[in-house]
Amino acid sequence: MNPLQTTIRHAPTGPVLEVNGDLDYTSAGEFRALITALTLQPGQRLVLDLTGLEFCDSSGITAMIVARNHVHAADADIALAAVPDHTLRVLRMVGLDQILALHPDSEAATRP
Amino acid sequence: MCRIGQEPGPHDADNEDDEEGPTAAFAALLEDSVEELYENAPCGYLSTLMDGTIAKINGTLLAWLGQERDAVVGRMRFTDLLTVGGKLYHETHFSPLLRMQGELSGIALEIKEAGGGRIPVLVSSVVKHGGGGEPQLIRTTVFDARDRRAYEEELLGARKAAEQARKEAEADRARLQDALAVLQQSLLPDSLPSVPGLDAAAHYRTASPDRLGGDFYDLFPIDADRFAFFLGDVCGKGPQAAAVTSLTRYTLRAAAVHDPDPVSALTTLNQVLHERYTGGDPRYCTTIFGTLAPDPATGRVTVHLAAGGHPPALVLRGNGKTEYLPTPGGLLVGVLPTATFTAATTVLEPGDTLLLYTDGLTEARTGDDRTALYGDEALLDFAADHAGRSAQDVIQALTGLLDDLGDGLDDDTALLALGAPALTPRTEATA
Amino acid sequence: MDVERRNNVTVTGNPSGPTVVLAHGFGCDQNMWRLTVPALADDYRVVLFDYVGAGRSDLSAFSEDRYASLDGYAQDVVEVCEALDLRDAVFVGHSVSAMIGVLAVGRAPERLRALVMVAPSPRYIDDDGYRGGFTAEDIAELLASLESNYLGWSAAMAPVIMGNADRPELGEELKNSFCATDPDMARVFARTTFLSDSRDDLKAVAVPTLILDCARDVIAPREVGAFVHQAIPGSTLVTLDATGHCPHLSAPEATNEAITDFLARLP
Repeated sequence: MNPLQTTIRHAPTGPVLEVNGDLDYTSAGEFRALITALTLQPGQRLVLDLTGLEFCDSSGITAMIVARNHVHAADADIALAAVPDHTLRVLRMVGLDQILALHPDSEAATRP
Repeated sequence: MCRIGQEPGPHDADNEDDEEGPTAAFAALLEDSVEELYENAPCGYLSTLMDGTIAKINGTLLAWLGQERDAVVGRMRFTDLLTVGGKLYHETHFSPLLRMQGELSGIALEIKEAGGGRIPVLVSSVVKHGGGGEPQLIRTTVFDARDRRAYEEELLGARKAAEQARKEAEADRARLQDALAVLQQSLLPDSLPSVPGLDAAAHYRTASPDRLGGDFYDLFPIDADRFAFFLGDVCGKGPQAAAVTSLTRYTLRAAAVHDPDPVSALTTLNQVLHERYTGGDPRYCTTIFGTLAPDPATGRVTVHLAAGGHPPALVLRGNGKTEYLPTPGGLLVGVLPTATFTAATTVLEPGDTLLLYTDGLTEARTGDDRTALYGDEALLDFAADHAGRSAQDVIQALTGLLDDLGDGLDDDTALLALGAPALTPRTEATA
Repeated sequence: MDVERRNNVTVTGNPSGPTVVLAHGFGCDQNMWRLTVPALADDYRVVLFDYVGAGRSDLSAFSEDRYASLDGYAQDVVEVCEALDLRDAVFVGHSVSAMIGVLAVGRAPERLRALVMVAPSPRYIDDDGYRGGFTAEDIAELLASLESNYLGWSAAMAPVIMGNADRPELGEELKNSFCATDPDMARVFARTTFLSDSRDDLKAVAVPTLILDCARDVIAPREVGAFVHQAIPGSTLVTLDATGHCPHLSAPEATNEAITDFLARLP
C-alpha cells in the first residue's frame, strides 16, 4: 500500500497534477474531490503526470473519467503524461486511450 | 473484615514481632473484649451442629433476621434461615461440598427476615474437627451482600439489555441478508436455461460479505433459433453498483429483443447509462454481449459478439488450440454520449467452448506477497489445459482455480462458458 | 442418536452382577452417588447417568418441549435401558427421579423390575389435606429466583470452589464440576419438578418398591414419605436417622445398608 500523494504546479497550458502512489478504492474519493475543486479556464489543459503512479484500479479509472467530465464542463481539456505500463494496459482494455490524450512525459503534455 | 475459620480477637492485626509493645495496647483500646467483637462484628456469625442445628449465633445476624436468640438457638437449623431456592442449593451443593472439602466460601444465598423480607448474603463455612479428627461443628460467617446484589442486578440488567440489543441486531442482519439475497437473485439468473445444441455453465464468486456484487451475466432466448448472452462488470461496489447492475441487465434484455445485433444492444445500454448517470458521479460498466445460433444439422454454434471495455473472450477449441477472441478498442459502456464498440464473430465447432470472465480472475493477486497479478497469460495457459472439455468441466476447473487463489481475489468474479457439445461418445448433459 | 453420550452414561461395578441404575435429582448430577457406588460395586453392575442439562450430558440434545414434563425424563431413562439392553434392573431414584422412576417402570417393566425411592415427593406444594412442605408462594419464589437471577442462583449453581489440600483424593475435575447444571435447562427442570403432581401415578406401581425418607428432611417432610408408602401397594418404608434431603451423602452407611438389604431380598 502506497499512500496517494499529489503535487500541483502550473504550466503555461494550465495545471499539472503529479500523482504518486496508489489510486484505488480507498484514495479515489479524495482524488476526485481534489480534481473537482480545480478551476480551469476555457482552453486550458489539465495534465495528470502519472510518472509516480504505482497502482490504479477501476476506482482510479473512474476518477480519471470524473476529471475528464470536469474539465470538459469548463471547455477545457485533459491529457495524461507518462502513463505506467500497468495502467496503460487497463486504459487500452477499456478504450479510454481513445478519449484521453496520452503523452510520453509532462514536457510533451504541456506543449501549447 | 471478618476472617474465615479463625476466632476473631484483639491481636488479629498485630505485629507478631512486638506482641507486648505499643501496638497491643492500641488494639486493646479499640476492642475491649473478644465477646463484644463477636456479638457486634460487621458480619453474621453462626455455629451449627453437623446436622445444621444452630448452637451459637451473634447479635448482628440475629438483628438482620429480626429474631430472638431463644427462638433460634437449639430450635432452628441453618436451612430454616434460607429461602426455598437456598434450601435446595444447600442440600444439593453447599452441604455435600462442605462435607467433601471441609470448607466453602463466598456462596450467594438469601436469608429470610422474620418480617418476610429477604437479605442477599455471601456465606462461608468451615468444619471444625475434634481431637480425633471427627467433624464437630460448622462455623459460618454471613456477609451482607445487599449492595453487591444491587450492583449485580445492575450488571444483570445491562447484560439483558445487551443481549436484547444483540438479538435485535442479529434479526436486523438476517432481514438485511434476506433482502440482499433477493436483490442478488434479481441480478443473476437462478439457473441457466436449457438450450438445444448448446452446453452452458456459469459461476459467480463474490468477494464481499454483503453479497451484492457488481458482476453480472445472463443467457436467454431472443427468437425461435437464437439466444443472447452477456457478461460484464459494473464499476464500484455495494448497493449503488447493484442498482447499475440491475439497470444494465434489464436494459440489455430489452435491447436484445428489440434488436439483437450486439453493437446495437451495447449502444442502447450506453445511451441509457450515460443519460442516467451523467455528471459528477459517472457509472459505467464493461460488457460482452452476444448472440448464439446453434445449427442442429452440423452441431455448430455461430457466435456474434461485441465488447465495450471488457477483457476478450477465450475460445477453447476441441482440438486443443486456445486463443483470445480480440475485441480491441471497445469503450467502457456509459462514459461518453456516443461510443464505439468492437464486434467479433466465431463459429464453435462441436467440442469448442467460449469462455467469458470478469477481471476479478485476471486481476487476482498472486505470489507470496500478493503483489503479482494472475494475468491474461496464466489464464490462457490454464484454459489450454482444459480445451476440449465440456462447459461444465471448464467452469468446474476454474472454480477450483478461484479456490486456490483464495484471498488473492479482491473483486467479484463471474464466469460463463458456452460450448458446442462434442459429437463423439461424450455424454455430458446440457445444463 | 447416541443415548449413552447424550446422558453421559457410566457403567461400573461387577459386570456379571445384577444391574442397578442410579438416577440423580434436581440440581445434581451422577456425582451425587459417589458414596453409594462403592457399596454396590462388588456385587452389582452399576449404571450412572446425567439428565440432559446436568453434569456432562450433551446440552445440544436439550428440548424445552420434551423436558417440560416428567414423561420426557422417563423416556430418557427407558432409552438408556434400551441402549444398554438392560433386563430386570433395579432403578434407584433420588428426589424427583423417584417419580421419574415410577413412570419408567410403568413403561418398561421387563427392563426395570424394582424401584428404590430416595427422599421422594410426588407433590411439593401443599394441597387440600395434603402436606407437601411448600406453599404455592414458596415455589413461585423459587421459580422466580431461577427465572430472574442470573448472577445469584446460576452463579451459585457453579460456585467457585476453594481448593482442599487435606483431601487430595478429590480430583480437580470433581471439585470444579460438582453437580454442574446449565442455568437455562435447570429452569425448565425446576418448573417440571416443582409444579408436577404425580400422586395419581403411585398406585400403578406394580414392582417391589423401597421408600427411603429422612427423619429431618428440609425439602420433603415425613408426611410425604408416609403418603408415598400408603399409595404404592406392597411398598417398604425405611426412615433414615438423617438430616437433609440427600441421605446418600449425609448418612451414606445407613442409606447403603437399606438399599443393599432391599436388593438382597429381591426374588
